[in-house]
Amino acid sequence: MSDAPVIEAPTGESGPGRFGRLYQGLTTIDFVGRRKIWFTASIVVIVVGLGSLGIRGFNLGIDFKGGSSWEVLAPHSSISAMTTAVENAGLTNPTVEKLGSQTYQITADLNNDSTTVQNTITTAVVNAMAKEAGKNSTQVSTSSVGPTWGGQVTNRALEALIIFFIAVVLYISIRFEPKMALAAFIAMIHDLLVTVGVYSLFGFQITPDTVIAILTILGYSLYDTVVVFDRVRDNASSTNAILKSGTVTYGEMVNLSMNQTLARSINTSLVAILPVAAVLVVGAYILGATTLQNYGLALFVGLTSGAYSSIFIASPLLAWMKEREPRYRELAARVARTEHAVLSPRAAAMMGSDQTQRIAGATRRATSMVIPRARKQKRR
Amino acid sequence: MAAPAVSRKSLIVSLILTLVIGFGSLATTLSLGWGPKLGLDLAGGLSVVFKPTTPATQTQLNEVVTILTNRVNGLGVSGAQVNVQGKNVVVSAPGVKDARRVLKLIGETAQLFFRPVLCQVALASKTAKPISAATMPACGAAYALTQSNLAITPDNSVNGYSMNNTIGVDPQFANIATTTSAQDIYADPVILTEVVSGKVARFLLGPGDLTGQAIGKAYATQDQVGAWVVAYNLTGVGSPEWDAVAKANFHQELAIELDGVIQSAPLIQPTQSTFTSFAGQGQISGSFTESGAKDLAVAMEFGALPVRLQPLTTQTVSPTLGHSALIAGLGAGLAGLALVLLYVILYYRALGLVILLGLGVTAALLWAIISALGHTAYAPTFSLAGVTGLIVSIGITVDSYIVYFERLKDEARSGRTVRSSVDRGFKSAWRTVLAADTVSLLAAVLLYLIAVGDVRGFAFFLGLSTLMDVFITWYFTRPLVILLGRRDKQGSSALSMAAGMNAGGSHE
Repeated sequence: MSDAPVIEAPTGESGPGRFGRLYQGLTTIDFVGRRKIWFTASIVVIVVGLGSLGIRGFNLGIDFKGGSSWEVLAPHSSISAMTTAVENAGLTNPTVEKLGSQTYQITADLNNDSTTVQNTITTAVVNAMAKEAGKNSTQVSTSSVGPTWGGQVTNRALEALIIFFIAVVLYISIRFEPKMALAAFIAMIHDLLVTVGVYSLFGFQITPDTVIAILTILGYSLYDTVVVFDRVRDNASSTNAILKSGTVTYGEMVNLSMNQTLARSINTSLVAILPVAAVLVVGAYILGATTLQNYGLALFVGLTSGAYSSIFIASPLLAWMKEREPRYRELAARVARTEHAVLSPRAAAMMGSDQTQRIAGATRRATSMVIPRARKQKRR
Repeated sequence: MAAPAVSRKSLIVSLILTLVIGFGSLATTLSLGWGPKLGLDLAGGLSVVFKPTTPATQTQLNEVVTILTNRVNGLGVSGAQVNVQGKNVVVSAPGVKDARRVLKLIGETAQLFFRPVLCQVALASKTAKPISAATMPACGAAYALTQSNLAITPDNSVNGYSMNNTIGVDPQFANIATTTSAQDIYADPVILTEVVSGKVARFLLGPGDLTGQAIGKAYATQDQVGAWVVAYNLTGVGSPEWDAVAKANFHQELAIELDGVIQSAPLIQPTQSTFTSFAGQGQISGSFTESGAKDLAVAMEFGALPVRLQPLTTQTVSPTLGHSALIAGLGAGLAGLALVLLYVILYYRALGLVILLGLGVTAALLWAIISALGHTAYAPTFSLAGVTGLIVSIGITVDSYIVYFERLKDEARSGRTVRSSVDRGFKSAWRTVLAADTVSLLAAVLLYLIAVGDVRGFAFFLGLSTLMDVFITWYFTRPLVILLGRRDKQGSSALSMAAGMNAGGSHE
């Protein structure tokens, strides 16, 4: 996978497959060293998405534009029959969609009409749809939204979001450290931009459900980053032998942490994405529940981006910021390797135990006594 | 927090206690027949979000809630909720069968009119039909409540006046239906009902003289003999208008109409022989109860509501669509769960079974809590947004196990025994879980407090399951895995913990 030099304790096994390597803690992916690749990939996706946003804008649902919608279960109808029915009932320019296999949804904008006219048309459409579906009129769902409602939902959500940003940055700064907070924050903004871009690019409809889903994504992205950073902090802590040994730079330590949490990151992302994929497939495409489809889609895009960003954006960013600190620059100079070395989790685990420290000491020049001042432990 | 070596006994106690609490509370709620209170999108029903057209104070919003609650309850809708969210008033009535009818009735902006009472008319017959205002007949001369027919004379009796109580009920209106609220137009004569001591009576009222805007303040108070009366102040503009109307209807009845129902029809100054100006204030007496007087005062002062409301969004969901959404949500959740379990069991073997058990306890506890909360009506209703919150939390819950198990593998890699790994591994995993769950909880709490609409339901269930995750990790996963670890003889069977943690054996 990686052609970077590898410090690895002999395992006595020959060439397990990729999944096996992951399972056994033998992965040696150079996350930090190849940051330019990851960053470029992300920037390309974001720029394309934002470009699309600038040109095409969003496909906003009626909750944002205002408008009315009707829904009915009609197993024996067709789009054209339904369209004729509602047009005869007085709707001009209705959008008729088939959701799932049996549900029909009609949307139209009545906000230019007076309340009385709106009520009359709404009722006429309900009756027409009920007749077309061969059902009672109480079987038709309706929704009418004033032009300001979606804006209000979004504004409140944005308010919550900004306060959440501040709270999270404070929390991570105190619990971990400010640079981690910054890196996590940038990763989260990355996910936000990617999701927004994908939505614009593919013309997916934005509804308040999407807003909820995006909020979740941001929470989840942070959650994921916090788990990874917790490992970095652990490896950087004074009780851990890895940085102390003076043979590993901060960036290499972050790399190690990534490889250590890689199995967890992949498992967790799979475990998070599996139910969301189920929501998308079972809920939306088979049964035609629009709300589920909206949630599922945004979550699917966002979780994928979130999993990517905590590994490929947040951590390399953290390593880059930390390596500019004088003490880690000194450390890097002392380690004095020209290329990045990547420790596998298994090798690192061996370093922690006595016999391998001796091996490590023997293969490297004598362990320097100038140890980078480790951060104060905040162990509870 | 975590003592270095926890006694076996306390671990077993904690494990059993969690199991008992989890499945016990599930059994309790199931046996009580409690279930989660389904939201609009799952149960079908109606939801309207009203926004005041002008900025409203908290007190005003609370009054709106009271009045709307009375209105909705008056319609016989059970389980409806009216509450303030931010600066909006949200009415939701899940489970309503004919949502559009209810919507029409609560959506009406109620108005207060003052109209002269022309005569009492017969109750509507079964064949009664509505007629247009233009063809409304006049009262028969013998039945008209005119000044001369009423013949009010002030005297020294208890009431302070005597009058002709023998005027009858005009029978010619029996075939005319009561005016519906849609036809209730200010400038037209109308036939409306009044409930007098439990009995319905119908009256023909003339075109409106004045609207509730003439009233400045109204309040319920008690007169000298302790009877409840409604006192009111007129506005600067309203005062001369009121005087003009009162003078025209002197010694006659003036009906106070709210939402197409006569609230009260007081006589104008029956104890005085000539009309005198009200000088900007007045008092309505009658056989009021305390609450009756208060209701009338509120109605007079506010028309119907203290602020005008404008619907921001209305939604009606048919019970069938709601049901299919519920099935879809549950189906998706279960399918997702099954996939997740399959994956973790394949990956972690015996430890995967720990996840299975842990999720079982979590699900039992969650269901019990959601059902109990649904029963008390303190929690948001369980909507699709809530379902999504729970589905997302599957990821967060299982992640706690994954974090722990990957730690275990790390510990095992550095040559430790399973026995010592489980303790050390938990210690570091627990820190990670706490830090990560704090972020998730922070998001949930802030969203719940600040956001509106469905976002709140979502945040509530996400927060709830995050708390549950912390609880289960400490009281269930920790004792179970540590106990298993202490028993484990390395590599004794394919299902042993070592098999799941084993850094050796190929796995493809």
